[in-house]
Amino acid sequence: MSLIPYMRSIFQISQNNVTRRHLHISTVLNKSRAGRYRPKPKIVQALTYEMANPPHYIASRKSWNSWNTSNVKDGNRPSETLVEDLFIRNFIQGTWHGLFLSEIIIKRQHNIIRIAGIINRKMMPGQIHFLIGYTEQLLSYWLHCPIRMELSSVPSKDVVYKYI
Amino acid sequence: MLSLIRRYKVINTIGTLKITKLLSSTSTDDDIEFRVLQLMPPEKKIVSKRQQTVTEENILTKLRNEIPNQDWQTIWPAARSFHPDIVPFPLQQGYKNKEGVHPGKHGNAELLKIPNFLHLTPPIVKRHCEALKKFCTKWPEQLETDEACVKHFPVEVITSDYCYSSPTIREPLARIVSLRVKLSSLHLDTHAKDKILRLLGDRYNPETGMITIIADRCPTRKQNLDYAKYLLTALYHVSWRFEPWEMEKSAVDMEYYDWDKSKSRESLTSMYSWPSTPTDSSYEYIPHATEYKIAVSDLINKGEDLDSLNKYKQAVKSVLNLKFDDTVE
Repeated sequence: MSLIPYMRSIFQISQNNVTRRHLHISTVLNKSRAGRYRPKPKIVQALTYEMANPPHYIASRKSWNSWNTSNVKDGNRPSETLVEDLFIRNFIQGTWHGLFLSEIIIKRQHNIIRIAGIINRKMMPGQIHFLIGYTEQLLSYWLHCPIRMELSSVPSKDVVYKYI
Repeated sequence: MLSLIRRYKVINTIGTLKITKLLSSTSTDDDIEFRVLQLMPPEKKIVSKRQQTVTEENILTKLRNEIPNQDWQTIWPAARSFHPDIVPFPLQQGYKNKEGVHPGKHGNAELLKIPNFLHLTPPIVKRHCEALKKFCTKWPEQLETDEACVKHFPVEVITSDYCYSSPTIREPLARIVSLRVKLSSLHLDTHAKDKILRLLGDRYNPETGMITIIADRCPTRKQNLDYAKYLLTALYHVSWRFEPWEMEKSAVDMEYYDWDKSKSRESLTSMYSWPSTPTDSSYEYIPHATEYKIAVSDLINKGEDLDSLNKYKQAVKSVLNLKFDDTVE
């Protein structure tokens, strides 16, 4: 019972904490930053056409990177398609490391998945052939459908649209 | 990278090898001059990357020159993404940059994204049609017109197929079958027609005269089609059947006014033969009776309006033989 006088001060502290609300109120920052490239000091950035056009230009200046019918009205398996596309992108980014100059374009046509893109000419043709076969084979095992890699190659500077 | 293109065109690589050999062995060819004593070994010429790209470009230009002479169907047999080195003509796709230059076909991802129909050029489509022709049968001569088709094949079955860009070919909506047939193509008498219309309800469209039966309760299309056919057969036979309870139908249950069975006819005949009672129910001998019958039926069946009321008035006057001027009233 002798503890109570000491406890009283502790109660007061906790009460103070409750009454003081740690909330900041300020104006909301409504600024779109995703997918937009801004100039940096002392660094010249080379942008491709895809990077140079911000996302609100999709469907007017540039088109989608995934082409499928899952997201049309009453389309089937939209979530599966999205997850598969993410998986394909991750797999190709890892397998073809530093080789793709453009985004990975995934086009679906019935049960065929066409993976298109632009690669640079850093690797020997034999290695590229191996990678194409490897990617097609493994992805077709995982996704249970035929995969086509349809690549075109250019020197790295050819994809540059503008410098900022 | 060269051999990526090799599946469309076998490249004569020996030629390029010869060129590089010639470049490296120009110094050893001169036998006329004195040989120089070289204390230090001659510098080996390093084939620079620049030279490699030059030969690559040469091969590509050679390939581009040769493609227009080849058959396009062998180069581009099926649907595939755009490839700038195979397509021989110049292309632009994309919004112009600050210098006012539109992106060309090389290194253009926009051209890879959009679907192309380069495998379906008009001559190739014509060739496809020629190849498919041997599998086609001749259109029957008796079915030249649409009326003949409707006459010989009155039943119309409508189903939908769905194409999706996904590995599954199943689509639940594909099971729905709608069967359409014109009511006039069924052989029905007055009773059967009346009964079938009652059974059909809103499945009959009075404007077009079409019966539409939609079957979607079974899981497959074939089952639904069978069910729709069964429904049509059952409808036809049930409407022809005369059930005993249909005899109990009285004048109140009639859906339209039938003058022949009405009190109006009875009154007319009894009035005409008054004071004696009429021997039979025939009314043909009564003058203007047919006119009166039509006027009364129209008035009750089609509703009262000025025309039908005037017609009824005239009919009553002529039946009762009241011949005075309209102006008197």
